[in-house]
Amino acid sequence: MAISGTEREEFEKQLEAYVGIDIGLEDQGRDPVNAAMVRHWCEAMGDGCGAYTDPVQAAASVHGELVAPPTMLQAWILGGVSMASGESDPRDKQKELHRLFDSKGFTGVVATNTEQEYTRYLKMGDEICAKTVIESISEQKATGLGIGYFINTRTTFRDQNDEEVGWLTFRVLKFEIAEASASSSDESSVTPSRPQRLKPALGHDNAWWWDCVEKDELAIQRCSSCHALRHPPRPMCGECQASDWDFVFSTGQGTIYSFVVIRHPEVPGYTYPLVVAVVELEEGTRFVGNVLDIDPAEVEVGMSVQASIELVDDEMKLPVFRRAQ
Amino acid sequence: MPTTLKDEAAIVGIGETEYSKNSGRSELALAAEACRAAIADAGLTPADIDGMTTFTMDNTDEIEVARAVGVGDLTFFSRTPHGGGAAIGVMHQAVMAVATGSAKAVVVYRALNGRSGARYSEGVSGGPTTSDLIHWSWYMPSGLMTPASWVAMVTQRYMHETGCTSEDLAEVCIAQREHAIKNPRAFFHGKPLTLEEHQAARHIVEPLRLYDCCQETDGGAACVVVSPEMARDLPNPPALIRAVAQGAGAHQESMTSFYRPTMTDLPEVDLSARQCWEISGLTADDIDAAVIYDAFSSIVLWQLESYGFCKKGEAADFIRDGALRLGGRLPTNTHGGQLSEAYVHGMNGVNEGVRLIRGTSTSQPAKNEHVLVTAGVGVPTSGMILGQA
Amino acid sequence: MSTETLRYQDVNVGDTLPELPIPLTSSLIVAGAVASQDYTPVHHDKEAAEAAGMQDVFMNILTTNGLVSRFVTDWAGIDARITGVSIKLGTPNLPGDTMTLTGAVAEKDETGNAVTVEVTGKNAWGNHVTGAVKLTLPAGD
Repeated sequence: MAISGTEREEFEKQLEAYVGIDIGLEDQGRDPVNAAMVRHWCEAMGDGCGAYTDPVQAAASVHGELVAPPTMLQAWILGGVSMASGESDPRDKQKELHRLFDSKGFTGVVATNTEQEYTRYLKMGDEICAKTVIESISEQKATGLGIGYFINTRTTFRDQNDEEVGWLTFRVLKFEIAEASASSSDESSVTPSRPQRLKPALGHDNAWWWDCVEKDELAIQRCSSCHALRHPPRPMCGECQASDWDFVFSTGQGTIYSFVVIRHPEVPGYTYPLVVAVVELEEGTRFVGNVLDIDPAEVEVGMSVQASIELVDDEMKLPVFRRAQ
Repeated sequence: MPTTLKDEAAIVGIGETEYSKNSGRSELALAAEACRAAIADAGLTPADIDGMTTFTMDNTDEIEVARAVGVGDLTFFSRTPHGGGAAIGVMHQAVMAVATGSAKAVVVYRALNGRSGARYSEGVSGGPTTSDLIHWSWYMPSGLMTPASWVAMVTQRYMHETGCTSEDLAEVCIAQREHAIKNPRAFFHGKPLTLEEHQAARHIVEPLRLYDCCQETDGGAACVVVSPEMARDLPNPPALIRAVAQGAGAHQESMTSFYRPTMTDLPEVDLSARQCWEISGLTADDIDAAVIYDAFSSIVLWQLESYGFCKKGEAADFIRDGALRLGGRLPTNTHGGQLSEAYVHGMNGVNEGVRLIRGTSTSQPAKNEHVLVTAGVGVPTSGMILGQA
Repeated sequence: MSTETLRYQDVNVGDTLPELPIPLTSSLIVAGAVASQDYTPVHHDKEAAEAAGMQDVFMNILTTNGLVSRFVTDWAGIDARITGVSIKLGTPNLPGDTMTLTGAVAEKDETGNAVTVEVTGKNAWGNHVTGAVKLTLPAGD
């Protein structure tokens, strides 16, 4: 639970001391801007822009000579292999601030936004240094990840003539990791490699129906006594109260009775905009399913559709509909 | 023993927390604060309370709230299921308890961190395998898993059958926003909404746009229900409960009653309405103002039809000339509703109903003898009529 | 990439950029991190990434920025000057997935022949990156 009351007040007072201060370190680029590091960057990014790697093309361009990719700005002052140790300079006020958040339970950290502006493109031989200021700390916010605070920092980059060449800001969220995800007892504590759709829960009253889907059949439950069809399946007939039932297979032909186009929220595993329809099957029962391969603007009540049973992701088969030919 | 619930109880106190997007405290704290405020407003002390009731979806136990507030012996406690459909169901419970002598003074409450905590817009998933999860399993694999998606499905069919348009839905939103502008508790206090803004806003689930959907709110609301006799000795003018009723209909599902012969029939709302009129002896013509449950704009239209303010399929015509606005035929959701004040599962609407009877709404209609208050749509539901004592 | 540079006059608000799918491999993620001198372990060490709750190494922000910049200059050409990049970060880029970059011209400003391109990079989990790239283009002949 997030801190509250006087503890929160005191904590937020402590935070105030960090707003507006320099983090205490000046980052000096270890190498001047150079063609080898630029080439390495461009190879990694697949960036074939001649201004970065082809002296002839660069000379003929507005740049006039070889320049470094502007988004590489921060790369000139990062620490390289030394960063892998995880140790940080004890004078670093930004790290100190993060530790303060950690101590109050806001252990999660994620960068949410970054903005950069470039005064000029860097040329080979430029020597870059940078200073970082903690610009602001937000009030406590409720976010999708949990309760937390946004920290905004601004790093200003200067060249060998002490002229500003650009700046960047980072917005970082320090948040309290939600209890549910922290104490997840799932067998897999890590996210699967590809998101899959939500699977049905299976029980006595519906597992048989999903077994039919596995066998590529769209089943409709039928009362053994009065032969009324019913969907979704239930253990008793609402017409005659008989408990015995069997099922028939639908032809999958039907018409759209109503439909929606889902745009928000986008749940991983599904493709949006997502068309979901209540389809009136020719047998008379209705069924809820996706309508595929159609411009959402073309879907209409009354449209004829045909079901087929298909894999909708790596794992699940589902009856889906397409406009009937 | 009474044979009906007509005039058997009155609401004598209302209370609420501030409504926000991040309360910064527990749902228990919100519930306790709302209950404390309602008890104080009633001119009672916690020791006078002997009944408590809330929604099954409320995360805070009655006994936890009782301990926090300092309520002692409880002779009645209960819960009502089906989300916002319980909004007046809880009132039904309280009135039955008071009418039968099971309790003398019942606190009804609902508190949720609906924005900073679990958000209903994020949809259903997971959990233990109950009949409820089996139910949602017919929809989750296809991606139909949020309240907006379920209500949009019925809305699409309703628009198809009646010719109701998105502009008609906008009138519900704009009328309510006009009320919210004047209500300092409302999230949209001082912020008007135009038809152009409504139409330009993104779709959440077609045909519903952003402003057709209610907010998500942190907050709590509560009220106190006692007998009319006891109410006479208390400081505030009581809101007499002229009728209160629940209804679940044929082919009922929770939010997904897609399999009815006509999807847009809402027999559970018709049933609540019919009972309200039968119990009270009143008709729609007697109602001066209303608090109509508005998780989504379209459901307001359907309830106007079920309660008989207009014929089936004609609600868009009914509201087009400003019927829901102050000075119109039926000033509705004068607090701004859940679209524009706050989403507290309809309990904030109960409190607004009481304010209308007291004459203290920030958008107070001149005539306020009888006020209709309703509950969630698409689920088993409930409704009540408040009147002056 | 185009060998011709777009001229300011050739560009209209609403123009879309050619879609660019980026297959996300461990090699790309590690190469991007190393090229940007960012040796934070989660970007090259799978064990460290797992300890941080991810199932594999994930892309660092500089690489995202580098790819966004490449996406825009692939379209705009060598004489474009990028003056600013502003991005919002979303779902992580993980090996095995594909990030598809899409973009459209959102604004034009004649002072300085400035153009703003809105960019989205989407992977299977949702939007990895959304944002805007500001650039200037040469005037037409």
